[in-house]
Amino acid sequence: MTKNMRRDFNNRDELVNYLREEFPNAIQPEHISHTIGGRKEAEKRLRKIHPREYTTSRNYLNGSVSHLSAYIRHGVMNLAEVRDYILNISKNIHEAEKFINELGWRDYWQRIYAQIGDEIWKDREEYKTGYTAKDYNNNLPEDILDAKTGLRCIDEFTNALYKTGYLHNHARMYLASYIVHHRKIKWQTGARWFLQHLLDGDPASNNLSWQWVASTFSHKPYFFNRENLEKFTEGIYCRECPLYKKCPFEGTYEELEARLFPNRLSNREGHR
Amino acid sequence: MNTIVWIHGDNLSPYNPALLAQKDAPTIFVWDETLLQEYQLSLKRIVFIYECLLELPITIRKGDVAQEIITFTQEHDANRILTTQSPSPRFKQICATILREMPKGSTLEIYKERPFIEIDEQLDLKRFSRYWEKVKYKALHPK
Ligand SMILES: Cc1cc2nc3c(=O)[nH]c(=O)nc-3n(C[C@H](O)[C@H](O)[C@H](O)COP(=O)(O)OP(=O)(O)OC[C@H]3O[C@@H](n4cnc5c(N)ncnc54)[C@H](O)[C@@H]3O)c2cc1C
Repeated sequence: MTKNMRRDFNNRDELVNYLREEFPNAIQPEHISHTIGGRKEAEKRLRKIHPREYTTSRNYLNGSVSHLSAYIRHGVMNLAEVRDYILNISKNIHEAEKFINELGWRDYWQRIYAQIGDEIWKDREEYKTGYTAKDYNNNLPEDILDAKTGLRCIDEFTNALYKTGYLHNHARMYLASYIVHHRKIKWQTGARWFLQHLLDGDPASNNLSWQWVASTFSHKPYFFNRENLEKFTEGIYCRECPLYKKCPFEGTYEELEARLFPNRLSNREGHR
Repeated sequence: MNTIVWIHGDNLSPYNPALLAQKDAPTIFVWDETLLQEYQLSLKRIVFIYECLLELPITIRKGDVAQEIITFTQEHDANRILTTQSPSPRFKQICATILREMPKGSTLEIYKERPFIEIDEQLDLKRFSRYWEKVKYKALHPK
């Protein structure tokens, strides 16, 4: 008879040690995430959601987001259940709308995945960066992997990814944009790296979001400037960054666009 | 002949419809060793999933998923397998292998969880804005 895996553990350490032995080929992180699996934890998090605060603060790194993604990803709780709960606790539809719209993103990506399957790894469209796919590299450089780029924000995002298996949506966008547009690395490479570490790692939400950043599934590449990052991170990285005001994200959007995508016919020029 | 329930990583809820459909049936989850090898997941993720599994009344194994499920049906004299839907292409492959390898007359029933949006027509998925325009009302006014 095939061997059953263990179910009896006195504590989390015992479980973690057992799994280290059972899955020796898994990446062995220094830290195990504080996020605990299971329905009970998911319900606790659900009860903490404030749809109104969410609407105004969700773009901020310490905004009132739900941290439900790993549970939703693994079907511990489904989108319909979360939506119903949000509608129940909201005073009116208007208050619930932003949160439910975000749930909609997941449903949207999942529907695409159901249609295209493994094609999710291929560029949905051309890059709109003035470059073609072959201009992008396949490998993630060591300084990114080791969180030693010298850019405080980027390195801290990487550390958080390794340590917690979670990143705020904006941090994911910043990190993905840095990797694809500043370092000219294929989105597939970054997406694979995220999937290894994110507790909510999902081929649909992850790959299609990377494609959205890269511009292979959107009208234009996603990029940001220091001012935007400083605002939504409330300066926590910029304040301590040795490269403050000298970093690659410094400048207006027009300046950054000219630097990052010199061959791209910008929308404005295109319309002239 | 008996029934078994197969739980996979896209539906780890205690209210999983396959689980609820046959509460007394032996239930299994199998760690997909090929997939783990291919994706090289971090142990963090494995711990998280394992903690979800420990809340469910199931047998946990690892190996070749289709093979382990077939073995499990043999152990329980079962020819009926209940599971839930997944968009993953690997899920489809595993289902196809199971159906090919099980004795004639065996069945694999795929339950669906309650959808986020109840809609029959094909949606235009070119851009999120088009999709949302179409489904927004239903998303905000479920039955
Ligand atoms: C480069 C990149 C990679 C990403 N990879 C993943 C991934 O692997 N898995 C994943 O679940 N999400 C992914 N996302 C989407 C999003 O960042 C996360 O779902 C969200 O940050 C999870 O945090 P939360 O649960 O606190 O979100 P909340 O803001 O509280 O949202 C509630 C729920 O809605 C869903 N949701 C919200 N925003 C999105 C979105 N943009 N796309 C899809 N679903 C959304 C999630 O299920 C989330 O749990 C990615 C985004 C980017 C930019």
